[in-house]
Amino acid sequence: MAEAILDARGLRKSFGALVATDGVDLDLREGETHAIIGPNGAGKTTLISQLAGNLRPDAGSIRFAGEDVTRLSAPQRARRGFARSFQITSIYRDFTALDNVALAVQAHAGHNFRFWRPARAQRSLRDPARAVLEEVGLGARADVLAANLAHGEQRQLEVAMALATRPRLLLLDEPVAGMGLEESQRMVQFLSGLKGRRSIILVEHDMDAVFTLADRISVLVYGRIIASGAPAEVRANPEVRRAYLGEEA
Amino acid sequence: MSARALILAACVLLLAAVPPLAQLAGQLYYIDLIRRVMVFAVAAASLNLILGYGGLVSFGHAAYLGVGAYAVGILAFYGIHNGWLQWAVAIVASALVALVIGAISVRTRGIYFIMITLAFTQMLYYLGVSVEEFGGDDGMRLKVKSQFSGLIDLNDPVAFYYLVLALLLAAITLVHRIVHSRFGMVLRAAKSNEARSRAIGFSPYPYQLVAFVISGAICGLAGALLANHTAYITPAFMEWTRSGEILFMVILGGMGTAPGPALGAFALLIIEDLLAGWTEHWQIILGPLLVLSVLFFRRGLAGLLPGGGRHG
Repeated sequence: MAEAILDARGLRKSFGALVATDGVDLDLREGETHAIIGPNGAGKTTLISQLAGNLRPDAGSIRFAGEDVTRLSAPQRARRGFARSFQITSIYRDFTALDNVALAVQAHAGHNFRFWRPARAQRSLRDPARAVLEEVGLGARADVLAANLAHGEQRQLEVAMALATRPRLLLLDEPVAGMGLEESQRMVQFLSGLKGRRSIILVEHDMDAVFTLADRISVLVYGRIIASGAPAEVRANPEVRRAYLGEEA
Repeated sequence: MSARALILAACVLLLAAVPPLAQLAGQLYYIDLIRRVMVFAVAAASLNLILGYGGLVSFGHAAYLGVGAYAVGILAFYGIHNGWLQWAVAIVASALVALVIGAISVRTRGIYFIMITLAFTQMLYYLGVSVEEFGGDDGMRLKVKSQFSGLIDLNDPVAFYYLVLALLLAAITLVHRIVHSRFGMVLRAAKSNEARSRAIGFSPYPYQLVAFVISGAICGLAGALLANHTAYITPAFMEWTRSGEILFMVILGGMGTAPGPALGAFALLIIEDLLAGWTEHWQIILGPLLVLSVLFFRRGLAGLLPGGGRHG
């Protein structure tokens, strides 16, 4: 088994009496797509927020590429190669699509205490940003204000921003949420094109997407992982069928 | 050239034409009035950097006006009249005060940020009131204006006028360059969506703090100009109502636009001047006017120009 690029051990997080994450162990191998599924309120977003650094776990540790990142903030983790998409689309609505991605390029490139040269004239930012927009299929929409993009396009833009930081780890929180059938198929197709090239933690409700994309699936119920394994294994697991997929699945 | 650029160029030419026109009409008062407006426009332009582009609602910008003015006044009090030195001290002292206030306030958001910036400015105000050496509540006269080794004489109202105009244009240009630079994009991005910024690797704090310090420094220069303009320095420069006025200039003129703060300064101070000449109860009229302007010109006066209140 290859060395895990991400290795979380014994994560625990509670909000008052509610235990949202209850001793979760989770790992991700280089180039793998590991999906986390579970019913509403299972603690998926809480878990991904701890992995991304937006929430500090009460207990447990997170190692990334051999380094303990448990106490690092979200921006510090981002600079080490974490990239995240949010369940509720999070983009710079009052900037153009190209500006959005160029900012992500800029975040990765550094040298941001420069006060005089116009950033929009810098090809070292604009060219890579344009290339990523092309890659996700938004090339023709580069100069549209992000707020004016269709919902599906905004989700694509968010993924483009994540990719533009040249991440070593992608944390995708429901990337096809709220999308129409056609849009969601296009997104799944795009993400499957990343398979093997990117290490991805995928939280998703859409089972078609999960079974198409995941190399491994972990099932989260009430903050605990009740099963973990290859898609076929998980699908056959009686406990999972009872707790989540429902007998008819 | 776009229509918007033409209008703005015409505004600058008009400003440049004020002294000869005023002299021709024998109304020298207008040189004084417009010069004062332009000093406040510098202060408003500095606030626009953090308010319009950084989303930081500083309710204490008069502090730097006061620090800049007192830097000039105190040095002059001790017989140091060199303008280069005085103005450099005004800028550096304001930057340092902004660094202290910003280091604490920029960590907070919303109402807390407003209250902390206000509280610090009130502290400086009472400091000014309590130090008897420098006139306390009454303030102090600036007997000798800043001296620039014969290069320019601030006692010449027209020369001083053009200096203020040049510095106003420089301040607006500086802010414009900053907000379009890499630094400025990070600053504006944090205003637009802080969670997204953190997720791609930007900690907003250092960027916002540096912007806060630059803003304070520019406003400190406005303070040095104000001290020379009025030839009198009083704690009233730092009153909270003054902070509110500067804030209002930016909002009225159009936050996050290059010409907005100057337009706001002109509109507010000229209307104030006109109404004050008409009735002593001018605030009763100004108040509703301001409310109406906020309701109906959401993008400020700059939003009425061709090209709109674009953020560009």
